[in-house]
Amino acid sequence: MSRKKGQKKVFEIKWKTNLPYRYSIGKLAVKFFEELKKNKKIMGSKCSKCGKVHFPPRAVCADCMVEMTIDDMVELPPKGTLEGFTVVNYPFTDPNTGGMRPFPYGYGLFKLDGADTYTMHFVNETDVTKMKIGQRVEAVFSEELIGDLTADIPYFNIVKEEE
Amino acid sequence: MSKHDVAVVGIGQTKFRSKRRDVNIPEMVYEAVKMALDDAQLEPKEIDAIIIGNMDHFEGINFSELFCGIEGAPGYLKPVVKVATGGTTGSSLAICGYHNVASGIYNKVLVVGWEKLNEGGATTGIITAFDPVWERPSLAGALGPLALMAGMYSAKYGITSEQAAKVTVKNRSNAANNPFAHLQMPNITIDYVMSSQMISYPLRLHDVCPQSEGACALIYANEEETKKITDNPAWFHVVETAHYYTFGTDEAMFDLPTATIASKKAYKKAGIKNPVKDLDVAEIYEPTSWSELSWTEALGFCKPGEGGKLLDEGITLMSGEFPVNPSGGVLSTNPIGATALVRVAEAAIQVMGRGEKRQVPDVEKALAMGFGGSLWSEVLILGKEPLR
Amino acid sequence: MDKVGIVGCTQTKYEADKIDQTYSELVFEVVKKLHNELGITNDDIGCVITSSNDFNDGRTIANMAIQDAVGSIGKAESRVSGDGAFAYIYGAMRILSESYDTVMVVSHCKCSEVNQYLVNNTIFDPYYQRHLGLDQISSAGLMANMYMNKYGVTEDQAAKVVIKNRKNALNNPYAHLQKEITIDEVLNSKMLAYPLKELDFPPFSDGAVAMLLAKEDVAKKMTDTPVWLKGYGSCTDAYYLGHRNMTDLIGLELAAKEAYKMANIKDPVKEIDVCEVSENFSIHELMIYEALGLCAPGKGGEFIEGGETEMNGSIPVNPSGGVLSSNPIMANGLIRVAEIALQLKGKADKRQIPNAKIGLAYGMNGICSQGNCVLIFGGE
Repeated sequence: MSRKKGQKKVFEIKWKTNLPYRYSIGKLAVKFFEELKKNKKIMGSKCSKCGKVHFPPRAVCADCMVEMTIDDMVELPPKGTLEGFTVVNYPFTDPNTGGMRPFPYGYGLFKLDGADTYTMHFVNETDVTKMKIGQRVEAVFSEELIGDLTADIPYFNIVKEEE
Repeated sequence: MSKHDVAVVGIGQTKFRSKRRDVNIPEMVYEAVKMALDDAQLEPKEIDAIIIGNMDHFEGINFSELFCGIEGAPGYLKPVVKVATGGTTGSSLAICGYHNVASGIYNKVLVVGWEKLNEGGATTGIITAFDPVWERPSLAGALGPLALMAGMYSAKYGITSEQAAKVTVKNRSNAANNPFAHLQMPNITIDYVMSSQMISYPLRLHDVCPQSEGACALIYANEEETKKITDNPAWFHVVETAHYYTFGTDEAMFDLPTATIASKKAYKKAGIKNPVKDLDVAEIYEPTSWSELSWTEALGFCKPGEGGKLLDEGITLMSGEFPVNPSGGVLSTNPIGATALVRVAEAAIQVMGRGEKRQVPDVEKALAMGFGGSLWSEVLILGKEPLR
Repeated sequence: MDKVGIVGCTQTKYEADKIDQTYSELVFEVVKKLHNELGITNDDIGCVITSSNDFNDGRTIANMAIQDAVGSIGKAESRVSGDGAFAYIYGAMRILSESYDTVMVVSHCKCSEVNQYLVNNTIFDPYYQRHLGLDQISSAGLMANMYMNKYGVTEDQAAKVVIKNRKNALNNPYAHLQKEITIDEVLNSKMLAYPLKELDFPPFSDGAVAMLLAKEDVAKKMTDTPVWLKGYGSCTDAYYLGHRNMTDLIGLELAAKEAYKMANIKDPVKEIDVCEVSENFSIHELMIYEALGLCAPGKGGEFIEGGETEMNGSIPVNPSGGVLSSNPIMANGLIRVAEIALQLKGKADKRQIPNAKIGLAYGMNGICSQGNCVLIFGGE
C-alpha cells in the first residue's frame, strides 16, 4: 500500500476469510448444463403466454408473471449478433477464484439468434478496432464439456465476414 | 400529495477521500451525524428514528446498521433500520426517510449513508451482486456493463469521446467549488481526460468515477417540527422509484428506461411540464461521463441522442440555463452507500441557498437522482416551498 | 393513525434444504400464490417492499435476484436489509404516507446455502470481537447463563418452551419441524453453549412469505377480514454484548411499551388474545414474556409452568410453533405477522385460537434481540 510522504505508518491488520456458498441454481439451469455437457446444446426458455424467448433460461417470465419449466426450454443456435462490446483493461479480484482475473479481455453484449433477451460473455478479441456493432459471433466449445459455462464455452469468436 | 409534508432541516457530509485511515467506521459515520445535528441544532435524543445504509459486502460486516447505528449515530434505544439497494442505497434511504415522516409515524428522522469500501474490495463486491452462474464469470464489476452501454450509446447517436470528456471537465472543475468533494480539479482539461488510459473501451480512467470513503447524513422533519427548527428547509415534492428485470442485459438498456419511467411519474406528480424550464438545477447520478449525457436524455432534459448537444450548448454548465451537478457529481465523489444520498443533500443545499461557491442563483426546485442495481433509477424533487 | 390492512398472506412450507429452487423461485412461489388467492394481477400492486440479507443470500444487492419474481418491472421496489417485520412497517408507512394504495411485502431466506455460523460471526465487528468466534449460539449461551443465574430459572422450565412450540407445530402445515419431543430428549441433547443444548436452539430453514397491504377502503373491498395495524414500536439495544443488560431485554421492553401505547393496551395478558414471537432459543422466549410485560421480571419460568402460554392458556404464545420449529432467519418476523393475520382472520385451521381479536407479532434483528420490532394487530 503506497504511503504519502511524511504520513505516519498506520497499524494494519490484514484479514482474509473464505465464505463458501452452495447456491441452488434451479431446475432450468440444471437442464441447461446437462444439455450443454451431453449434447453441446445451448437452451433458453420460452414463455407459454407471450412467447418471449429468454436467455439465460429462468423460471419466471417477468412480463407475464408466468412460470417457465423444463418443458418450456428451447434450443438456441450458438450464433448471435454483437450489440455492444468492450475490452476490459484493469485488474480486480475475481470473487469466484479469490485471485486476479487475467486482463485485458474482450467482453460483448449480444443476442443469440432466436432469443429475445441479450446476454454478455467473453469475446475472443482484445483489439477494439477489430470489433464493430452488428458483427456476427459464434460460440466456441471446449473439447471436453463438463457442465460449466465458462469452461465449456470459454468465449465467442467474431465471425470473419466473407469477402 | 402526502399525509405530512417532509423537509430536510439538517445536512452533514464528511470530506470525501479515497482512504480514511484516520477513522474507523463508527467514527466516520459520527462525523457526518454530528455535523447534521449541529446544523439542525438538535440534540441526539430528539431524533425519533435512524435509517442507515451501506453495501454490506464491501466492508464485510453483516447487520452493519446495528454496529455503526449505535456506535456512530444516536441509535441506542431508538428504531434503527437498514435499507440497502446497491448504487441506489442513498436515494432508497432518502425515500425511506421520507415515508417514515410523511406517514406520521415519526416526526424527525436521521438518514445516514456511508461507505468505507477500501477496507474491502469494491469491484469484487459489485461482481457478487450478479448471478453466480450466468453473469459473474465474465462480469467486470460495474465498469464492464457501463462500458458496453457507453459503446452502444456512442454508436447509435454518434456521441464522441470528446463530448464525454467535457462532462468530466465540467464536473471535476465544479467540484473545486465543493469543499466536500473527493476529486477537485479546477484546472482540468479535455486533453487530460482523453489522454488517460483506456480501462474498458470506450471508458478511459478519467471517464469513470473514483472510489471514495465517507458518510452523508440528513435530518428530516414534518411541517410542525420544521417550523421550530429552521426557516430555511428544503421540502420534498415527490419521490419515485422504477426497477426493471433481474438480468440487466435482458434489454439493451443504454438509454436507461427506468430513469424515463421514474422521472415521468415524478414530473406528473410535481407539476413539472418541461424539466429544463420548471426545475432550476439537477444532481444526477453519473457513474461515467458518457452516462451523464445519456441520462440527461432519459430524464427528459433533451431529446434522445441530444445529450452531447445539451452540454455543447452550455445548458448544463454552471453558467447555463439548467446546471447539472454543481457539486461535482459522482465523477468527483463516489462513496457508494452514500453517493445517491449526497445527490439529495446537494439538491437540498441548492434549494436552501447554502451552496456558497457552488450555488446556482435563484433555485426554487431541484432534482436528485439515484442509480444502481440492474439499471434501477430513483428521482426526487425538492423545493423551497411545500408542494401544493 | 389511518388504517392499514393486511389483505392476505402466503407462505411456503419451511424445509431444511429446498435444493431444487433458487431463492428467486421461492419468492415467485409465494407471490404467485398471493396473486391467485386474492384474485389479483401484478397491476393491482402499487409497490413492493422486500426483506433479505446479502450475507445469507451470498449476493450483494440480494434483492436484484428477485425483481422478476416480485414483478417490479417499471415499479418501485425497495429492500429493508433486516428482518421481515421491519419490512412490514415500511410497507405500512408507504400506505400511511398516501403514496400507494397497495403494497406487497415479501421476505425470504435460504439458510441451506451457506454456513450460518460463519454468517453470524460476520455480525461482530472485525477489530475486537470477530476473532473470538462469537455467533448466535455462543452469545445465546452467555445470555441464558446470566439470566438463569440471576433469576433462578431452571433448564426444565426452559425445556418447556421447546416442548410447547414443537407440539404446536404439529398443527401448522408450513412448519419445518413437525415432531413432538419430550423433556428428556431436550435435557439430554448435546451441549452447544452452556447452558443451552442442541434442542434449545431452532433448526435452519429455507422459505419465503408474502403479504398484501392495502389502505382502508381498498382492503375492505378486497377481503371480508382485513387485519388492521393497531400499534407499532421499535427499539435497538446496544451493539456490544458487554454494553447490554444481558438478563433483561431492554430493547424489546421499550418497543413493546411504545406499541402498547399506540394500541391503547394497558394489560397485555387480558387485552391480547394471541402472540407470535421470534424466540431464537428456549430461554429467549421466557425473557420475551417478561419484556412484553406478560409477567414480572424473572417470572418467565413460572409463567410457562402455569400453562399460561399454551394453546388454551391465558395468552397463547407461538401457536404456529415459532422459530424453534421453522427458522428461515430473515423471514421470521414477517412469518410472525402472517401467522397473527391468519389468527385474526379466523383462518388458522388447527392452530386457531378461538375468537382472536387482538394479536401481537415480534420480529428481531441482530444478535439476541438487539433490534426489536413489536406490532399489534386487530381484526376490527
